[in-house]
Amino acid sequence: MTETSPATTITFIAYIACVFVLAALSHRLLATRSFLGEYFLGSRGLGSWALAFTFAATAASGGSFTGFPSLIYSYGWVLAFWIASYMVAGVCSMGVLGKRLNQVARKTGAITIPDVLRDRYDSTALGLFATSTIIFFTVCNLIAQFKAGALIIEETFNLPSDWGYSAGLIIFAVTVIFYTAYGGFRAVVWTDVLQGVVMVLGITLLLPVIIRQGGGMESIDRKLRERPPTLVTSVAGAYNDLVIQARGPLDTAGLLYRHPRRANAPLQIRWDAGVGAENRFIEVFLATDGEGQTTSTGNDVKRAIEHHPRLGTRFRVSFPYDNNEVVTDRFGHRTEMGATGVIGLDSHQSTERFVFLRGDEVLFGPGRSHRGAPFHPLGMAISFFFMWAITGMGQPGTMLRLMAFKDSRTLKRAILTVTGFYSMVYLPLVFIFVAARVLIPELNAENSDKAMVLVTTRVVGDMGLAYQILGAVLVAAPFAAVMSTVDSFLLMISSGLVRDIYQRTINPRVSNRTVKRASYATTVIVGIVVTLLATRPPDFLQRIIVFTGSGFAATFLCPVMLGLYWKGMTRQGALSAMVGGFTVMVGFFLPTLFGGSRIDLLGFHPNLWGLIVSFGLGFLVSKGTGPAPTHLVERYFYKLNPSQQGQSTRYGGQSRDDSSA
Amino acid sequence: MIDPVFRNSLRECIFLLFLWLACCLYTVTYCYLAGYLVHEPHPNATGPSLGKLVGPLTAFDRQPQSLTTPLGLGVPDWVFYGVITPWVAAVVITILFCLYFFSEDDLSAERNEAGTIHD
Repeated sequence: MTETSPATTITFIAYIACVFVLAALSHRLLATRSFLGEYFLGSRGLGSWALAFTFAATAASGGSFTGFPSLIYSYGWVLAFWIASYMVAGVCSMGVLGKRLNQVARKTGAITIPDVLRDRYDSTALGLFATSTIIFFTVCNLIAQFKAGALIIEETFNLPSDWGYSAGLIIFAVTVIFYTAYGGFRAVVWTDVLQGVVMVLGITLLLPVIIRQGGGMESIDRKLRERPPTLVTSVAGAYNDLVIQARGPLDTAGLLYRHPRRANAPLQIRWDAGVGAENRFIEVFLATDGEGQTTSTGNDVKRAIEHHPRLGTRFRVSFPYDNNEVVTDRFGHRTEMGATGVIGLDSHQSTERFVFLRGDEVLFGPGRSHRGAPFHPLGMAISFFFMWAITGMGQPGTMLRLMAFKDSRTLKRAILTVTGFYSMVYLPLVFIFVAARVLIPELNAENSDKAMVLVTTRVVGDMGLAYQILGAVLVAAPFAAVMSTVDSFLLMISSGLVRDIYQRTINPRVSNRTVKRASYATTVIVGIVVTLLATRPPDFLQRIIVFTGSGFAATFLCPVMLGLYWKGMTRQGALSAMVGGFTVMVGFFLPTLFGGSRIDLLGFHPNLWGLIVSFGLGFLVSKGTGPAPTHLVERYFYKLNPSQQGQSTRYGGQSRDDSSA
Repeated sequence: MIDPVFRNSLRECIFLLFLWLACCLYTVTYCYLAGYLVHEPHPNATGPSLGKLVGPLTAFDRQPQSLTTPLGLGVPDWVFYGVITPWVAAVVITILFCLYFFSEDDLSAERNEAGTIHD
């Protein structure tokens, strides 16, 4: 078990302490400002650094520092192509909507995205649907993010597996709920700045260290290319990892585990020499007991392949952990692993298929999953260019930040800063985790989520105090990424419940004091509910994050974008766009709830179909139900004189924050 | 009169969407043709095919030995020309956009709770 250095522990605690101090400072400021506007929107006073870092840090979630490194580790350089639309994501996601959304929000006094939609289309139903959708997607996302936060703490401090996750979850939840509820939006923004700096600093310092340890990128590429074809399998069940490596030229396609579905079946290995290499799989028929349950272990399969007359001479079978329960890795740390457990291929699933991966395949596209399918085919490449730059525009969490900046100059400077931030984080991550594949070769598809933590704790952990502090900073980077997303989302749910549902729909004359208490209480209660849900978290963290991000864009981008830029957009068009986009996203992802795969129609990601349906319906229904009401068109698209501007504010100049105060 | 913030924002929005489209077309085309070892056959072989316009895509399949790393940076050639080069160009265009194309509009005043207007 790897030990955590004192420097890591101290730096981590110092980081948490900084977060609490920022929350306390923010809370003091809260007492001097209008409560709702300050608590949920920072009084629209964000400067360029604050805007840039809160925008970028909110976008960089746990996926950026756990899921993305894991994919780079598994598939190599094709991830540079996968992430490529970040070259314009900053300028597009801020520049397309930023200035206009901020102006419209100021014009109407809106402090949430449902506020903006409700006022723009003069429709309470639209506002309520928007709030409900935000709560649905946000809760799904928060469960995944809480899981990521808990796992990072568990891995970093090597907490025992029986209670480590629960302890990590409690530490993460208490920290993030406290500072978000206590400090509100400004605390979230300030901590986002801190977290953004940690991310950039961590990545910038890690990059040269990793490349030097790998002997330079040229050398790393060569080592990857010269690796013999390797098949890594880790079927369900504890400690069954096998590495099957070709001794010479590759003359088989992969390995099939088969469950024979009958009692007392012996273990058999078949390999048909008469079939072409592309169709020739090593077939492993697992042994079963009297009840038909699998009894074969990883060791049994290894021995069977080694004793096979032809396979034994062509392939070398090994275990990443030398088949010992406790082993010492190349960094001198003792790791508990082995390959003695029963292979977990149950009788319901008759076949598992694994494919050989040549070393050079991680230097090219499209990459291959361990099931043999292309990782990033053309349809997905096009979809992912939409995913980051276009989908990024449609996130309520980032839109909210565009309503909070001070003036146009602030936005301009923030665009430049965010562009620099994305360039300094995402491209270097590709370099780092391509190199990590050489430095830490033992991970496989199932546990490569640990790549980030292993790089930060092992590669730099034993290099003296300075590097230990660097390691600690780097460990804080993914933690910061998760926290910066979670805090924003907690506030978004809280604002939805307090502002959009309670104040604007149920009780518009609610007192300022009640609003304040309700805001604190709602943030805490939502945090506790999500913590409880995350005690039994779903698998596939990255899949949930992609689902919620795509769902937000398919629901919100069209009504917001066309509402800001098209005079002909009607309330019916907006509602159709939201319902259509939401339905497509949920429908296309629904099979994943039942263990199936999401629907990638014609090879494109559901994200793209959601946007097409949403924009198509928004345009067509608006054309059919138009024209839009004249007073709304005049209010949003024409410059009014000051007296008209006063009338255009629904509350006639009274604050909607404190209308009854 | 048309709101100048709306007019300027719309102009900037159109510019940025074209920038995104240009980056998308270049990067996806270049990386797909130059960076893939094996190109999948067109899913609809009997219908209209991209292959009729540019020839069969499998003609662009690469051999592993053909990989180079420009400038000795250790970055595969297709990543260098398909991702890093347009990324640098996009950053330069973003800087120019902010300096010369983005207008610093005066955003409308906001009413606060006292009924006074502040920016």
